[in-house]
Amino acid sequence: MTAHTPTSTERPTPKGATRIFTGVITHTEPTMGDSSLITFTAPEHVVQMARPGQFVDITVREQGAYDPLLRRPISIYRADKERAELTILVRPFGRGSRWLVSQPTGTQLNVLGPLGNAFEIAPKSRNLLMVAGGVGAAPLLMLAEEAITRGLSVTYLMGAANESTLLPAAALRDEIEYVVATDDGSRGHKGFVTDLVPDYLQWADQIFTCGPTPMFHSLRNTILAHRSTERFPNVQVSVERTMACALGACLGCVVETTSGMQTSCVDGPVFDMQKVVWS
Amino acid sequence: MSVATAVTPDLSVDLAPRNPRELVLRNPVIPASGCFGYGTEYGHFVDVEQLGAFVSKGITPLPRSGNAMPRIAETPAGMLNAIGLQNPGLNAFIKKYPPIWERWDVPAIVNVSAESLEDFAMMARALDDVPGVAALEINISCPNINAGGFCFGWDAQMSADVTRVVREATTLPMIVKLSPGAVDVIEIAQAVESEGADAVSLINTLVGMQIDTRRRKPVLANNTGGLSGPAVKPVAVRMVYQVAAAVGIPVIGLGGINGLNDALEFFMAGASAIQLGTAIFTDPTILLRLVDELSEWLVQNGCGKLSDIVGVANPRFSPPKGPDLDLFAEMSV
Repeated sequence: MTAHTPTSTERPTPKGATRIFTGVITHTEPTMGDSSLITFTAPEHVVQMARPGQFVDITVREQGAYDPLLRRPISIYRADKERAELTILVRPFGRGSRWLVSQPTGTQLNVLGPLGNAFEIAPKSRNLLMVAGGVGAAPLLMLAEEAITRGLSVTYLMGAANESTLLPAAALRDEIEYVVATDDGSRGHKGFVTDLVPDYLQWADQIFTCGPTPMFHSLRNTILAHRSTERFPNVQVSVERTMACALGACLGCVVETTSGMQTSCVDGPVFDMQKVVWS
Repeated sequence: MSVATAVTPDLSVDLAPRNPRELVLRNPVIPASGCFGYGTEYGHFVDVEQLGAFVSKGITPLPRSGNAMPRIAETPAGMLNAIGLQNPGLNAFIKKYPPIWERWDVPAIVNVSAESLEDFAMMARALDDVPGVAALEINISCPNINAGGFCFGWDAQMSADVTRVVREATTLPMIVKLSPGAVDVIEIAQAVESEGADAVSLINTLVGMQIDTRRRKPVLANNTGGLSGPAVKPVAVRMVYQVAAAVGIPVIGLGGINGLNDALEFFMAGASAIQLGTAIFTDPTILLRLVDELSEWLVQNGCGKLSDIVGVANPRFSPPKGPDLDLFAEMSV
């Protein structure tokens, strides 16, 4: 055990308001089938702070109502520093997300964030592979844009049920190589997105992935079967968990890792694939 | 004293009036165990030194990695949790957190859980003179650990036994946290009072279950979990009302408090202080806002001090009594 550094454990200055704010919806746009891109205002410092892989935690009910009770953690899709706005990608699969996508422009959202850790691009990395499933596309889009800005090469693999639920190619900058797979073959490869991975294993310096858990298992098995060296590549996984506090206090969203239980809200949501215990 | 002109009402409360070591809080608002970590997690949102006190996550004799996932499920106006007391264990806890708390000007209450009388006594002894620890909250009511299927807090004799061994092991102010699963919560409260509890807190969560009809199995890996949130509030208010009328020690009320009016209900039922849990998850700023709103409400309603409203809705309530010198005179700790 390392000794405590007083700086991190002193009673922190209660800058309470710094990461909790009211965001006003300025724009909503349907995308990827029944999903929506929701853009809302955010304080400048919040937008500056936001990094690819981080999330916001949003209240999804009317003020004064008790239901649905818990905030919803949602990955940041874009942070627009000039306009001081954040954009999230929301698929309406539950009561909270349905409430969110039905809110009109002008709605005030109670937002906590940015929260969690972020994807880390290693200093020596040149070639980055993204593997996205469904709305897992969101944090990887923000990461891909940052990588292109830094002059890196990005291949973005995306899997979805069919053509209409894919991330539209126009959402990605031209410099990004975009390769897709659909369950029904209506666009690109017919099958799993992870079927596309072997072709890029030698090329990629790092792999970043976000999507449903079965996709992570499939990705891990694909890498184990096709890697050209003994070394397992650096794969950063952004997991999705139901959260209550989103601040590391309730321990409701843990991930079992080789160094014990870790919270996906503070220690994550991004984990090294090799450090996660995949049961 | 002119009550009507009071500008800043007296919110302070002594939660251990019969204990010479006393537990005086500047206000009655306390984050509940398991909902505020160890006080450090919410640092960016809450100035802990403005709280009445805070209660740590439950500590057990040995480290626990907790239950399998999923551990939480949302329910109508509430949530189920089955964390399973994930914590670093007593020794690692003592090394890590009390030294931090010692520098904070706020009472830190350690929530203590164990599966045997010996372990409860051992933990109480170990914490008795740890600087930074202001009081113990004895958890005889955690619904999420499988201790042979029983819960101390459902049985008056077992509750009394736990209280007695802890009292023999420490002079620290002791709060006993009661379970709403007891057949007769009054009997349990009186039993722990007579064995030396300085205060009782209630209610812990109610045992519940939610089934995922698509997967055809319970949502939680633990199958059952503790229900909390606005959904449980009427049950909690009723139990606080019953217990506050039946004991002479302070009652700390909790269960679904989500705003000023909820808090007032608990005070009027007879609670001397309140704890908030689930509400912190949905709004971390609620704790200190509630302190301000309470103060404002008391002024507006001509009350000079919080105790003016404690128990006013409860005809059989009488205020907690003062020092019990007999209880502590015979102690050699």
